Amino acid sequence: MPILKYVDLYFKLVSAGIRAQFQYRFAFFMRIIGLITAYSGTAITMWVMLYRFQELGSWSFFEMLFLFAIAILSWGFCIILFFHFRSLDTYIINGTFDRFLVRPINPFFHFMAMKFDVASFGQFIFSILIFIWVSIELNIGWTIGKTLFLLASIIGGILIQGGMLVIISALAFWTTKSEQFYWVAMYPARNLTNYPLVIYPKIVQWFTAFVVPFGFVNYFPAAVILEKETPFFPAYIGYFSPLVGLVFFMIAYWIWMLGLSRYKSTGS
Amino acid sequence: MLQFRMYCMFTRKAFLRSAVYRFDVWSRLGSNLIFLLMWGSIWTALYAGREEAGGVSFESMLTYIVISQFLSGINGAGTPLWEIQEKVRTGDIALELMRPFNVPLRYLFADFGSVAFYIITALLPLYIVLFIFMDLMVPTSWLTWVYFIAAAFIGFLIRYCIEMAFGLLSFFLVETGGIVDIFYFAMSLLSGSVIPLWFFPDWLEKIAVYLPFQGIYYIPNAIFIGEISSGEILFSIGIQLFWVIVCFFLLRFVWNRASHKVIVQGG
Repeated sequence: MPILKYVDLYFKLVSAGIRAQFQYRFAFFMRIIGLITAYSGTAITMWVMLYRFQELGSWSFFEMLFLFAIAILSWGFCIILFFHFRSLDTYIINGTFDRFLVRPINPFFHFMAMKFDVASFGQFIFSILIFIWVSIELNIGWTIGKTLFLLASIIGGILIQGGMLVIISALAFWTTKSEQFYWVAMYPARNLTNYPLVIYPKIVQWFTAFVVPFGFVNYFPAAVILEKETPFFPAYIGYFSPLVGLVFFMIAYWIWMLGLSRYKSTGS
Repeated sequence: MLQFRMYCMFTRKAFLRSAVYRFDVWSRLGSNLIFLLMWGSIWTALYAGREEAGGVSFESMLTYIVISQFLSGINGAGTPLWEIQEKVRTGDIALELMRPFNVPLRYLFADFGSVAFYIITALLPLYIVLFIFMDLMVPTSWLTWVYFIAAAFIGFLIRYCIEMAFGLLSFFLVETGGIVDIFYFAMSLLSGSVIPLWFFPDWLEKIAVYLPFQGIYYIPNAIFIGEISSGEILFSIGIQLFWVIVCFFLLRFVWNRASHKVIVQGG
């Protein structure tokens, strides 16, 4: 099938999903409010933490907010596109995964288009308000170059975190478990990146740069925009975010397809 | 007496069931370690080579955070809230109402079982190793240990009552979204689980002191590192006891209302 048809199909599937979610309007708004309060909670905790200490690893409160807002924004997009991947195991166990295999569409694409979680509006509202507030407080001069770089890094961040969700879901092809891996590995690891990575031991920083590249989601790009130092890494490393995202996502896709071929061969 | 033996059966059953799901225990421990790494690094960076801040030594602060993560491992090992909310949603809770036991008490005793398994097989070995290899403070008087264990246990009960009462709100509200999030945020901040109360802005500290949450983490942690001096320990535990009674009645009240609602609706 040509790519344009895929795009068309994606939007059809997605708009059906959105209409379904708007059926429960009250639940929808409650979720948005819930997300905004949860993120504000983390921000307030940061504020209380820095009330007596002023800075964390030479990052001020507003710089940390900026770092946090980038993470939340790319995670918001990530939830829309990939969050349901974590529960691939339930589809496999219930046998409902087979329906993605019998249709003449790429199963990865089909599974991806199955859900579209609009409730992550909460993430957009929160992070955009923070971006505005922080830009005023820190006097970030938004040139066209900086804006484009921020957008490109956010796309990189979406691909890195999306890729990680895809890899975690692919584990279900081998172990019939994936949701749990999300909660015990990715959820705490993502929490680590809410704070500037410079505070962690060198091995952890190295790990988040070259193994599970969460450092490229927010820390390295934020360091470039805010002109912060990144010890152990060259100052320009943040510019690689989009590229790292692309490569990492391709690896994730490859692992997923590998798992899928294995799934077929077991014939369950 | 017979009643008590019945509840102990729930503890035993939960203990044995945890042994079957050993993978869960190990993975939960892994996640606990990542959060320990995070808060340990944050406090190391906040102190930034300083020996002390606000009259509290770095060693004490690091011990505070390690004990706090240990306690949060204990507090997180019981029945997750969403499981109870799921039972409410599907109506399964009605089946439990027909049985001759008190449902909140039944879950509490079951939690004792899963928590005991988690402590014995995972938390204690890990944290003993941490205390051997890291420069942490260890209370020298056995009395402090007794007070700490008592305070940690009462803290567990406070947390259980509050969290269960909140979980039962799903009987009354279709969607608990925002309220539950505010509650969890308040509990994690005001309990002193990650930032001790003495580093709060004064106005916030005043609020925290008058709320039950401090009994969950702050009081046991502060007793352990000797930040609450021996004269004040009994007073602090008294405050905890006051709150555990209040929270117990809150839970009983919410539960009575909730179970009536089930009877009216016919489950």
